Amino acid sequence: MSASDTPNPLDQARVEFERAMQRNIKGLDYFTSPAPTLGISPKDLILSKGTLRLYHYRALVDEIYRVPIMLVMATTNRGYIFDMVPGQSFVEFLLKAGYDVYMVDWEPPRAEEKHLGLEDYVLDFLPACVDKVLETSGEPDLSVIGYCFGGVLSVLWAALHPDGPMKNLVTFTTPVNFKGMPLFQAWSDQRFFDVDKLVATFGNCPPEMLYSAFDMLRPGGRFAGNLRLWDNMWNDEFVKAYRMIDRWSSDMLPLAGRYFEQTTKRLMWENAIYEGTMDVAGRPVDLGKITAPFLHVVAEHDHIVPYEASKPLVPMVGSTDKQEVILKGGHVSLVAGANAIRRLWPQIDQWLQERSL
Amino acid sequence: MAFFREMVNQWEKMANDVGTKMAGSSEFSQVMQGTTAVGLKAQQAAHDAMAKALSAANMPSKAEVEALAERLFHIEAQLGRIESLLSAQGSTQTAPQTPKPKRTKTPPPKAK
Repeated sequence: MSASDTPNPLDQARVEFERAMQRNIKGLDYFTSPAPTLGISPKDLILSKGTLRLYHYRALVDEIYRVPIMLVMATTNRGYIFDMVPGQSFVEFLLKAGYDVYMVDWEPPRAEEKHLGLEDYVLDFLPACVDKVLETSGEPDLSVIGYCFGGVLSVLWAALHPDGPMKNLVTFTTPVNFKGMPLFQAWSDQRFFDVDKLVATFGNCPPEMLYSAFDMLRPGGRFAGNLRLWDNMWNDEFVKAYRMIDRWSSDMLPLAGRYFEQTTKRLMWENAIYEGTMDVAGRPVDLGKITAPFLHVVAEHDHIVPYEASKPLVPMVGSTDKQEVILKGGHVSLVAGANAIRRLWPQIDQWLQERSL
Repeated sequence: MAFFREMVNQWEKMANDVGTKMAGSSEFSQVMQGTTAVGLKAQQAAHDAMAKALSAANMPSKAEVEALAERLFHIEAQLGRIESLLSAQGSTQTAPQTPKPKRTKTPPPKAK
């Protein structure tokens, strides 16, 4: 390092002093200002059925690709992770790139929806959404993009509808080998976890339980995150990104009781998809029956769905045109934030372009 | 501040390593689920007591309110079906308000 590269201690002290002042001023602002408004791309609700919502986003360009895209959100969280704020919205990116975009999103299941099971999601909700997308777009086929457990639902639906209208399938961080998620395995250890009792008591699985389970995956994450927030309080961009992600990750949904019980027993305990013993309402699931072009995107540092859990998905799917992409980032930063804008979104666009004609 | 940031990173890594090792053990699962079970029992007892108190006060229990909500839910679903039938009928009679984009887009030519 040359002498000119060495920071002047006085300049450094001045910068730190200014940042300390900014921290105090903006810190006060942080606690008094409302949370950022997210998910504001103009859209129309075109299907509503209990916990299910299907939105159609309004086009931003005059000419679009023929094949519509249906995003399927995970049942644990809100779909606005795909539509944070203008400039940082996957939905907006797709709309500007010329796609016709729909999103399957979820509201908290109500107490009387505790009986909803996997078969309702896979054999009722998703087929109803697909029909509605085809009807609204006037097209005979569609591309499906599923995130996390939305990917699991998409894969189950696709495997059970091999002659269906799916033209392309994209999944993000989608687990199929649930034994590859050691901490969730420990959390739901069959010897100690009485899922029947939990469902009988609460009806639906409370979001607080899921939140604590997710928090357990990174015990030091929240405290260190708060320290980093304080350190970066002077930096508007950092604070904005932190608030968006923090709001989304703490905005968890309850899970319908029966659905939670089934996913715990069939997926966490029996690992039924990976073992090839999975069925939905008695219909055997064979991922080899999926033959549409398939892209699976996984995150290198995913602490929620480790690579071990998602690695077998591509080999299990029967498509000949299939690809796995491993990108830097974590479970959330893969799909939203600066990393996603730079890495994931352009790759998705490139992959879909020639397959959306 | 660089020292502070490095210290936070190191602490987080250590806390995550120690915490996840501990959380992955069967002893931890047993203790955690034992605590959850106690909580569930307490919640169940509170539910039962509340149901008795509500019954004594001649007020509907949670289960009865849920049953009512379920009936409302079915009425809402029926209304939704009627609404979609009506809008389908309406859409055949009126022209679309905004022009739909053409579905003719092709990928941009690849840079050589």
